[in-house]
Amino acid sequence: MNPEVRRRAGEAWAFRSRVEQDAARRFRRLSGVISGFDAGSPVPELLQRAAEDEVRHAALCKALAESYGHAAFDAVPEHPIAPSSLDARAAALYEMVAACCITETESMATLATLLAEDAEAPVANVLREIARDEVAHGQMGWAHLAREAERTGVAFLSRFIPSMLAGAAAEGLFSVADAEAESPELLRHGVLPHSTKKRIFVGTLEGVILPGLDRFGIDTRPAQAWLQERL
Amino acid sequence: MLFKKLFQLLVVGGAVIGGASGCSTASSSQQTGKSSPSPSGSATAGSSAPAQGADAGVQGGGVSGW
Repeated sequence: MNPEVRRRAGEAWAFRSRVEQDAARRFRRLSGVISGFDAGSPVPELLQRAAEDEVRHAALCKALAESYGHAAFDAVPEHPIAPSSLDARAAALYEMVAACCITETESMATLATLLAEDAEAPVANVLREIARDEVAHGQMGWAHLAREAERTGVAFLSRFIPSMLAGAAAEGLFSVADAEAESPELLRHGVLPHSTKKRIFVGTLEGVILPGLDRFGIDTRPAQAWLQERL
Repeated sequence: MLFKKLFQLLVVGGAVIGGASGCSTASSSQQTGKSSPSPSGSATAGSSAPAQGADAGVQGGGVSGW
């Protein structure tokens, strides 16, 4: 294998392992918060189940990273992403939209794209196992947003969506990448070439996330402006 | 095609799981500045929104993914 492809694949899977660990902690915490103000919601139970999924996913990603000779990244302390001015309920909505409606939805599009390619067997097995769970992880964000849209105000999120997108977009996503980042060989190892990654991110944003937010009454013009500035 | 399928699966499917009708009610009216009662009739609209003027700038962050 090309050593640069090996390095990039190892780094990507190590990063994903940390992302999955972070998600497990976030989902567990949000489950407790949401059950505190919406006792009839199915979302807290889904979050608990998702937290368990993410622990398993982290281990799968870590094993793949190691198979490419890359050590797993150290876990980082959890830090709040919601603006401090939001109360607990609004902050939970902010996090659910950022983590699930945006990030998990983008991850699902990435997984679906990778699954359509001819990946190495160990990679394909991990992609399939994770994809089975990621559908529910994306859905629970939209489920919570739908409930909150019927019970309280969600329109205030509009001005925060660009910050959420900035945090979700990979570093350098909108820049021109070097030739090695565009290698089609990356696909066999579960990594999207740079231009494909950008196309999927933008397509998911324009075709799924923004129409979804619009549907629940969140003005997406600030998000559209954020995107146009980068294209 | 991928994106249409994902919209149905995640956005529409999620709204069904949440037990909601799948379109905005309270949030739409809040954009017009009107209060909106909860389904039970108690006024809860805006209860989770930030205090007016307390957060004028765009702050907060996002979540890294795949």
